[in-house]
Amino acid sequence: MKKIMAVLLAIMMVLTLGACGSNNESAPQEEAAPTEKIVIKFAAQGDSTPATQQSIDDFNASQDKYEVVWEDMSNDSGAMKDALKTSLSAGSSDYDVISMDVCWAGEFAAAGYITPIDEMLQAAGLKISDFNAGSMAAATYNAKTYALPFFPDLGVLFFRKDIVSEEDAAKLVAGDYTWADLQAMAETYKGQGDTTEGYLFQAKQGECLVCNAAEFTAGWTDIEGGLVAFKALTDSEGTPADILNYAEGETEKFMTGAAVFARNWPYMKGCETTLTDDQIGYAPLPGGSCVGGWLLGINKNSANPEGAFEFLKYLATEGQVVQATVGTHLPGYNAALENADVLGANAMLTDAGFQKALATTVSRPVSSAYGEASDAIQINVHAYLAGDAELADTVAAVEAALAK
Amino acid sequence: MQNQTKTFKIVCTIIIIAFMLIMIFPFVWILVTSFKPSTEIYGPTAFQIIANNPTGANYTTVIDKGILNSIKNSFIVSVITTLYVVAVSTLCSYILARCHFKGKKLLMAGILAVSMFPQMIVVGPIFNMFYKLNLLNSYWVCLAYSSITLPAATWIMVAHFKKIPIALEEAAHIDGCNAWQTLWKVIFPIALPGVFTCAIMTFISAWNEYLLTYTLNADKAFQTVPVGINALRTQFAILWGEITAATIVVVIPTLIIVLLFQKQIVSGMTSGAVKE
Amino acid sequence: MKKRITFTQALFLLPLLILLGIFAVYPIVTSAVYSLFDYRTNDQTVAGLYTSNKFNAPLFVEDCGYITWYLGDDVTLLEGEDKQKAEQIIAEIDEIAAPYKEVNEVVSIDGDISQNVVDKMTSYQEELKAIYTKNSDKQFYNGYEKLELLFNEVYGCKISSNFTGLSAYVQVLKDTRFGDSLKTTLIFTFISVFFEFILGLGLALIMNKAMKGIGAVRTISLIPWAIPTAVSALMWSYMYDGSSGIIAKIFADIGLISAPEAMLLTGSGAMTAAILADVWKTTPYMALLLLAGLQTIDTGLYESASIDGAGPITTFFKITLPLLKPSILVALLFRTLDAFRVYDLIAVLTGGAQGTETLSIYAYKLMIGQSNYGYGSVVVLAMAICVGIIAFIFVKVLGAELLSDD
Repeated sequence: MKKIMAVLLAIMMVLTLGACGSNNESAPQEEAAPTEKIVIKFAAQGDSTPATQQSIDDFNASQDKYEVVWEDMSNDSGAMKDALKTSLSAGSSDYDVISMDVCWAGEFAAAGYITPIDEMLQAAGLKISDFNAGSMAAATYNAKTYALPFFPDLGVLFFRKDIVSEEDAAKLVAGDYTWADLQAMAETYKGQGDTTEGYLFQAKQGECLVCNAAEFTAGWTDIEGGLVAFKALTDSEGTPADILNYAEGETEKFMTGAAVFARNWPYMKGCETTLTDDQIGYAPLPGGSCVGGWLLGINKNSANPEGAFEFLKYLATEGQVVQATVGTHLPGYNAALENADVLGANAMLTDAGFQKALATTVSRPVSSAYGEASDAIQINVHAYLAGDAELADTVAAVEAALAK
Repeated sequence: MQNQTKTFKIVCTIIIIAFMLIMIFPFVWILVTSFKPSTEIYGPTAFQIIANNPTGANYTTVIDKGILNSIKNSFIVSVITTLYVVAVSTLCSYILARCHFKGKKLLMAGILAVSMFPQMIVVGPIFNMFYKLNLLNSYWVCLAYSSITLPAATWIMVAHFKKIPIALEEAAHIDGCNAWQTLWKVIFPIALPGVFTCAIMTFISAWNEYLLTYTLNADKAFQTVPVGINALRTQFAILWGEITAATIVVVIPTLIIVLLFQKQIVSGMTSGAVKE
Repeated sequence: MKKRITFTQALFLLPLLILLGIFAVYPIVTSAVYSLFDYRTNDQTVAGLYTSNKFNAPLFVEDCGYITWYLGDDVTLLEGEDKQKAEQIIAEIDEIAAPYKEVNEVVSIDGDISQNVVDKMTSYQEELKAIYTKNSDKQFYNGYEKLELLFNEVYGCKISSNFTGLSAYVQVLKDTRFGDSLKTTLIFTFISVFFEFILGLGLALIMNKAMKGIGAVRTISLIPWAIPTAVSALMWSYMYDGSSGIIAKIFADIGLISAPEAMLLTGSGAMTAAILADVWKTTPYMALLLLAGLQTIDTGLYESASIDGAGPITTFFKITLPLLKPSILVALLFRTLDAFRVYDLIAVLTGGAQGTETLSIYAYKLMIGQSNYGYGSVVVLAMAICVGIIAFIFVKVLGAELLSDD
């Protein structure tokens, strides 16, 4: 028995030491020289680029009143949201500045978790129109503004310039096409240029399905027509047989040359690829591009709302240049869109099709019970696409969900 | 007759081997995938056993992402939980196995009922309690584990104490030992194998715990293995390469524990379930 | 001979009672209380347990501030009587809000007072609506729509009791989603425990025949059981993946499913996937439990049976099974209850899609996903009642011995 214990102890110590060794980077922060600075805690997910860390460092260096500390949240968005909600509903002041997915903002605002920032914006001389319109629509609840964009995101049609004819490409870029046209093109071009699929999009039961539904229904204005087009594409020969199980990750196949068309967020551009830049074109989607991305808000129970706003303001304005140049995000601050460095760093921003997509956005419902509404839309639309529900019932169910 | 026995043995061996292959297969496949670069995980190379361009990159990435820190946390949390749960359950099980008192059956039934309750119910109230006491994001989460580990540990210990002949205690009592001394000096050493079994079972259930750490310790610095691995599923993609590599890294300590303690584990599993 | 308990001995129980009291009994009681209220933390009108009239003072002050601010901007475009009227409303709203400025929380208030506030605000809203309609030709900075949203929020500041008593328990009986998930849970539980039992018993019988290398078999069996469910579920979800999952491909190749993607996509496929993963993880556990039971059976019994000329099948049904009954029942009970509460596995594999939503998933979605603690608690407690019924059937009807005290 003693031997076994000794072995166990030895293994544990080795593992513990090994783990400590690898954890050195995070340790020095806590050991930094004592300062009088007020600590502002920023809840955000890990960033695969150094952009977020650099923004924080820049801010910390730019003034000597506040010290921003990054509270690293789970990369699993669902887990992060659950963690935030549990913390905020307990009235915790653990986080000062909170990054949140656009579709959480309405719920957080309605629940009184985050604080309205209109007065602070006015005092800082900022206007709503200075920021990305789609993101700001998501940040507004009951006529009050609760957040600024961290980085906006939107659905874009990726297509293979080397396969699609010039005539069709022109139509796509101009947004002068319908879902039926896209379906026809997917069926026609499928198989050309070593592709195995025509069009890839997201129909898996999940948040991505709600985004796609928003685009198909042109922002919920034509639910019936949109759903019919959605189902037609799902059943089409031009899309994979298991499209009902496609989320963003599966769609990334496009970048290895598997498909002619794909609907995804701009991040896909940065995925490992076998295609050259010249082979990829961008276009708006027929029903408009669903707005995604993240917002920045302030915890209502924050002990330092002024400091929190200082950092939020920095990150949403000047910090946007860093987010776009060091990172790969779209800037949410309109002035940053004119910055030469930003335009130089992201070729998408000067692409005509992408600009058109930026101009035609649709949003998911902004609701206090967003989770419930999204859940209902996912279940009903997915059942309809899978052939388990009637069109009329699905339309009624989606309308009921939107009314929540 | 001789022939029949032989055939029977062969059939049994084949079944056992098939069973073992089925048990092992997922791990082998995960190991295979963990060496594939992300471009080979999808597409025509998805079912290839040996990667065209084998890489250790998945392992270095998950180690960079702090999987070792998660393993360290899991160890710390599991060891602390094991220590105090064993102490508490030894104390109470001794009484439950040896003494009669009013409401004992009710208490036993209550302990069993707690272990059968859906775990979800404890999460919200415990979070609020930890928040008010400022214990979130710390190793104090171990205390909350008692709701899942303590009933089972008590159950195992009661079964073990019952196996110890009562005559020993009577002798100790005659020698002038009080209850405390009897427990520590006489009963505990004899019950040590049982205690050890209880410890290993507690360790493993703490090692597997997901919902409580996930809720109480949102900070990455305190996350344990199950939470850490699931965090590799990002907003848009499931990073299979990294997940498989992380799984292998996590299975290794589990394998060591199982190899070293299989007898105690089996004895723990069957405590209370088998009347001897 | 058992002894009566002394005071010192009773103290030995204390740590257990304290820990279980804090970390099990207290949360369960709290949830039981939640279940009596319409308690949803994402809606400020029901974000607490209110048995009397309350007033959300901070939100009221905030909204009044917004109304007077927006109105103040728009007032500059008005003229004459309308301007005077609007300015007067601003002043009056400021006055109503003033006493609550220093209040930082939801406060208890007399129902008449809050009703009075709401009535006043309603009359202001009507007056303002008239003014805005009259001046609809003007390009206001903010407009009536924004004010309307704010006024509606103000009315929500008057909070009345959200105590619902047992009515949510009646609601749960009518809830089809609850019924569906109960059915799903029962199907999952029944099928997976059935297969685990049959396979586990077979394996236990084989292992009991004193095979060589039993240590190796035991070690290998224990690994699936010892790794966290959250991790093994992820492994399986990779192998079930429609485009790169090996299991999905094998099943499709041998014709069990129409195409690899059907594995997680169809209702039957997803349920099979979940059951298979569960059987993989827990059959060894079942086998080891039953093996331990088999090993306690006196080998002399088998010898005398074989002298009497009983064949292996007769021996199994006449000796093995009856003697193994206590072990079987306990093993089945533990496994049934575990399977009934399944969460991690389904959450990772399908997230509850394709008709695999079990009670735990539904409860989690309600409580954490939708912040509906009131109804979520009702579902969890209903689930606990089901667990109780299952335990009752095993113990009282089938005679499983859990609380033997000899």
